[in-house]
Amino acid sequence: MASLAAASPAAHAPEGTRALRQQHMLSLGARCALPVAALLGVGFLAPLVAILAYAFATPRSFDVFTSFTLENFAGLFDPANTVWVSFVWSCGFALLTVAILAVIAYPIAYGLNAVFGRWSGLISVFFVFPLFVSENVRLYGWVLFLIKNGVLDGSLKWLGFSGGPEVLYTPGITLFGMVYTYLPFMLFPMTLGLALVPRDLVDAARDLGAGRLFIWREIELPLAMPGIMIGMLLTFVLAIGATAEAKILGGQSIIVISHDIEIAFTYSQNWPLGSAMSVVVTLFIGALTLFALSKLDLDRMLGRR
Amino acid sequence: MSGISRRSLLKGMGTGLGALAAAGPFLSANKAFAAREKELNILCWEGYNSAQVLDPFRSKTGATVKAESLTNDPTMINRLRAGEINTWDLINVNNPWARKVMLPEKLIKPLPKAEFEPFFDKMLPEFKAPYKWAMSDDGKELVGMAQRFGPYSFVVNTDKISRKTAEDTGWDLFNDPALAGKYGILESDDWNVFNIFIIAGIDPFKSHTPEEFAKFEETAKRVFKGAKLIGDIASMNQALISGEIDLHMTGGTYSVSPARADGHPNLRGITPLRGPLPGGKGGIAWIEITSTVNNPNLSPLALEFLKYVQAPDVAHTVAFAEGTFNPVAQMGTKACFDLFTKDELDAIQWDSLQEEMDRSVHYDIVPDYDKALDIMNGAKRLRG
Repeated sequence: MASLAAASPAAHAPEGTRALRQQHMLSLGARCALPVAALLGVGFLAPLVAILAYAFATPRSFDVFTSFTLENFAGLFDPANTVWVSFVWSCGFALLTVAILAVIAYPIAYGLNAVFGRWSGLISVFFVFPLFVSENVRLYGWVLFLIKNGVLDGSLKWLGFSGGPEVLYTPGITLFGMVYTYLPFMLFPMTLGLALVPRDLVDAARDLGAGRLFIWREIELPLAMPGIMIGMLLTFVLAIGATAEAKILGGQSIIVISHDIEIAFTYSQNWPLGSAMSVVVTLFIGALTLFALSKLDLDRMLGRR
Repeated sequence: MSGISRRSLLKGMGTGLGALAAAGPFLSANKAFAAREKELNILCWEGYNSAQVLDPFRSKTGATVKAESLTNDPTMINRLRAGEINTWDLINVNNPWARKVMLPEKLIKPLPKAEFEPFFDKMLPEFKAPYKWAMSDDGKELVGMAQRFGPYSFVVNTDKISRKTAEDTGWDLFNDPALAGKYGILESDDWNVFNIFIIAGIDPFKSHTPEEFAKFEETAKRVFKGAKLIGDIASMNQALISGEIDLHMTGGTYSVSPARADGHPNLRGITPLRGPLPGGKGGIAWIEITSTVNNPNLSPLALEFLKYVQAPDVAHTVAFAEGTFNPVAQMGTKACFDLFTKDELDAIQWDSLQEEMDRSVHYDIVPDYDKALDIMNGAKRLRG
């Protein structure tokens, strides 16, 4: 600083210092972002750091930052521990939810883009509308619909049938609940993906004699794939953390991993174990997300190419 | 509008944030040093947090009263252990925690005995001073006030299983293969640990041998496998009313009273006639004890609130606060008892309350609870 000032002509000193200061200072954008960055740091990172620290604390203690042990992780990976059952249920049901939703949502997304015409907006609203109502309320609504002597069973009996199917409090209804809850999260990215398929390309292929299946396989599907992948990823990440469906509709006929984490933080009061479970699940989902995102071209997805 | 540019807006926001950041430490310092005369924070079971109970106190004192309800004792106590001792003024948990855990750990502080002990003389006979659970272990200090209580074993639909059969068969109902798939389990894991021990024929409130734990594990796997559903109180009552289940454990006045008040007197909390508990008893009862937290800056309203809920009309409101209806110790005075209508007394099973309490031991701490809970959680995972 001093040598630079000495080397510069005295008259130019203020400009030179200002230029140097500007070089060392953050850009205006970065400075404007500082409050948000600080808020994110406190509100987003701090709890994650706390969870991470708790994961290495002595089991069933509150000695966070003052103790270090791998005991919680060792306990989780102990073959005698049945927590893997919950993890398998969560992963399996999340995968099944994604697969079922891909099959269900694709035709609807296609319809919203190419078939429903001016009704598309209204139909979209029908799929968005349930999101305005709390998930738990909607699931309790399904319980009232499906419960013995409830809306379905009662109506069928009134009509002279023997009654509704006994589906409540089973793993199957848990899966149904997940498919129902996460449909919009698959549908809308998929619709966006399909919207990016240029109609001209499809028309050109048809003019050149390509069949429907060929156009779908070679043009529509690859071009819509970023949207489909985003939908699948979003649905999988949400579904693996789902608890309410297994609790309310499934009557805890299966215990999912997020419920296990909840038990560790409540009845067990074993925050370190709950944190270790959270860390393992977060790492698993994080790795999977990063892998999937590395395979996606977001620029193309957002139409910037 | 035209006077506001993006730049001026950002500038204004920056100034505002800066002012807030500068004032922050002073604001919190003020809060820390100010006497908390107009502020009261209550950590409690559901009921005490209802507007019916709190609003009159708010209007009377002009204070800001915050209440958070949780549904298990260890969580509430650990909140104090984790440093929230400076936040809360009152804590309302089941009977053993005050004298056995919170007072020795200095999480709560004793009440002025001369001021509060006379209230016990107005309570139901079994609460007369010195009432065990309101006193410290050495019997010298008053550690809290009693109010809501009730027997809590299991609930049956008496249209399907008669009260007589249920009381006589007791916990063996859950050992009956014919009832597999016809019962629910309330998501109340501390109580479920007690009950699985009892179904296995073991007293829960003692240290257990490896053989007893083996029996506990076998019972837990079988009982959880046979359950139609596990859920909260609303789910249990709904499943009972609809006919999905015929009975559920854990349950009693606390859980079934809303359904009874809602026109389903066929649903009934049952206390078995006999069981493996001390004295051959078959049921467990809880008594809530509300204590003042060992907050270095305790709100003076804490003591005032404890007195406020002793008044007959407020005690009646507490008994019938939203969500769950329960008997209260203050029913020992005629002025309070007379406020209960016939339907309300029926909802809380007043007709059998005394005999059920006599057949019950009081909620206590399981010395090896952590191990039992881990085993039970493992058994629960194998349901699917």
